[in-house]
Amino acid sequence: MTETKVRVDAVMSEIERDVRARLRRHLIKRGGAADYQDEAIFDAVHAVLARAVDERNLDATLLPELIDGDVDWRLQTHLKLTTHRSGLAGRCMLFAKNTVLLPMTRWLFEYSQDNFRRQDHLNRILFACIEELALENARLRRDITSASVGKPV
Amino acid sequence: MRLACVVHRFGADIAGGSEGHCRLIAEHLAAQHDVTIITTCAKDHITWRNHYPPGESRLGPLRVLRFTVARERELHRFMDLSDRVFADRATAEEQEQWFRENGPDAPELLEHLRQHGAEYDRVLFWSYRYADAYFGLPLVADRSVLVPTAEDDPLIHVDALGRYFALPQGFLFLTPEEETLVASRAPAGKPSAIIGCGLDPVPAAADLSCLDSLGLADRFVLYLGRIDPNKGCQALIRHFQRYVDGGGTVQLVMAGPASMPIPDHPLIRPLGFVDDRVREALLTKARALVMPSPFESLSMVLLEAWNHGLPALVNARCKVLRGQVERADGGLYYGNTIEFIAGLDYLLDHPAEARHLGRQGLAYVDREYRWPIVMQKIEALLLAFE
Repeated sequence: MTETKVRVDAVMSEIERDVRARLRRHLIKRGGAADYQDEAIFDAVHAVLARAVDERNLDATLLPELIDGDVDWRLQTHLKLTTHRSGLAGRCMLFAKNTVLLPMTRWLFEYSQDNFRRQDHLNRILFACIEELALENARLRRDITSASVGKPV
Repeated sequence: MRLACVVHRFGADIAGGSEGHCRLIAEHLAAQHDVTIITTCAKDHITWRNHYPPGESRLGPLRVLRFTVARERELHRFMDLSDRVFADRATAEEQEQWFRENGPDAPELLEHLRQHGAEYDRVLFWSYRYADAYFGLPLVADRSVLVPTAEDDPLIHVDALGRYFALPQGFLFLTPEEETLVASRAPAGKPSAIIGCGLDPVPAAADLSCLDSLGLADRFVLYLGRIDPNKGCQALIRHFQRYVDGGGTVQLVMAGPASMPIPDHPLIRPLGFVDDRVREALLTKARALVMPSPFESLSMVLLEAWNHGLPALVNARCKVLRGQVERADGGLYYGNTIEFIAGLDYLLDHPAEARHLGRQGLAYVDREYRWPIVMQKIEALLLAFE
C-alpha cells in the first residue's frame, strides 16, 4: 500500500493561515489598529509588509539613492581613525591614535557595534517597507486610471 | 587523472563544512584518480595558526601537501575592513585586501601552484572566500574547477567577484540556490553540476544506551553543529524560550562546541562536542532537527537528519534550507518566533505526519545524495572541458 504524501506547501499554508489569525487576535487584544477587525484588511497589510521584509533585496531600494546627497545616511559600523594634519605630524598623530587611543576605546566601540548594525539593518527594512507601500499606491493609481478611462467625470 | 584539491585547512580532526566536504569528495575521487590535497598547516580557522607540520604526508588514499601560514589573521583589522566591504563602501584595492586579510596567507602554497600547477590535470578549489582559492585559482585557471560554497551573504555582491567567477573552467555547486546565486555573477555557459554531498545509508539500529547518562528528556528536539550566533543559535534560543513561556514542554538539546553563552534553562540541554556514536543516537531518538542558520550553501546536518528519517524545522530566511525542505517535503520552515512555535507544535502534535515528513526526507536523500549518484556527476564535470 502506498502512503499518502504529506505536502510541505499545504502544511505551511495551514500553519501560516493559523499564525496570521493568532497574530491578528493578539494585536486587537493589545489595542492595535481597529481596521484589523476586518480579516481581509489585516491579510492585505500583512502581505505588503511581509513582501518588503522577506522578498525585497535590501541593497536595491530607491529611497537611499534619492537621499544619498550631501549627507551619508548609512550608519558607520566600522572603525577607521583619521587626522586632518598632514605630513609627519599627521603620521605621528595617527600612530598615537592607533597604538594608544584605539586599544583603550575599542571595547566601547565593540560594545555598541551590534546595536549600530541592528539599527542599520532596521533602517534598510524600513526603506523597503516605504517603497513597497509606494509601489502598491502606484499600482492602485494605475488601475484606477485605466478603469476610469471612458467613464463620465 | 592527476587531481589536486586545494582547501584552506585539512585533517581527519577538522569538522568544518567545506573542509569536511572536500575530504569526503577527495576520498571518493581517490578510488579512480591520483589525488593530492594542497592545503596549509593551519587547524584553527579563526587565527590560521600553524599546527600541522609542513611538507608531504598521507591520509588514507590521499597525498597531502601542507604549506606554512606566513601570518596569523589580525582580527580587528579584518573586522574593520569587513564592515567597509560588506557595506559596499570599499575600493577595488580594499576588496582585494579583504581576501588577503581573511587568509590563510600561504605564499608557498601559491608558489607551488605557480610552479607545479601544470602537472595536475584538474585543480579543484573549495570556498572562494579564502585567500588560497581566491589568489590560487587564477594561477591554474585553465584547469580549475571551483566549488564556491557560496552563501547569500554580503560578500557575494563584491565587485571583484565578477572577474573571479569568469576564471574557472567549471563549477561544482551544492544546491540549486547556490547555482542561481553564483550564476548571477558568472558568465553563462560554463560546465557545472549540482552535487550536494554523498551519504552512505545509515547502518542498522543505533545503540541508544550512550544517551542514558546525558540527562535527556524523553521528548527532545535537536540542534547539531557549532553553537554560534552566526549560525542563528541566539535567535533559536530566543524563539525556544518564547515557546516554553507559552507552555511548551519539549527539551532542546544542543550538541556541538559552543562559542557563545547558553542560558541555564531547565529545558535547554547543551552537550558540547559529541562523538559519532552519540551523534547517531541523538539523530535516531530526537523528534525533529532544528536548523536556525541564516546562511548556508548546503546543510550536511539536514541531510544527515533525513538519512535517519528525522523531520526538520528550518530557518526560512535561508533560501538554501527552505529550498531543500521544499524539494524534499522533509520538514517545515519558519520566518519568525510565532511561526517557529507553530511549526514546532505541528511536528510534536502530529507525530504520524512528522514521521512521514522524515521518511520523505530519506527518500530525497536516496534519490539525490547517494555516493554513486554524486560521483557520476563529478566525473562528468571533470571530463566536460579540455
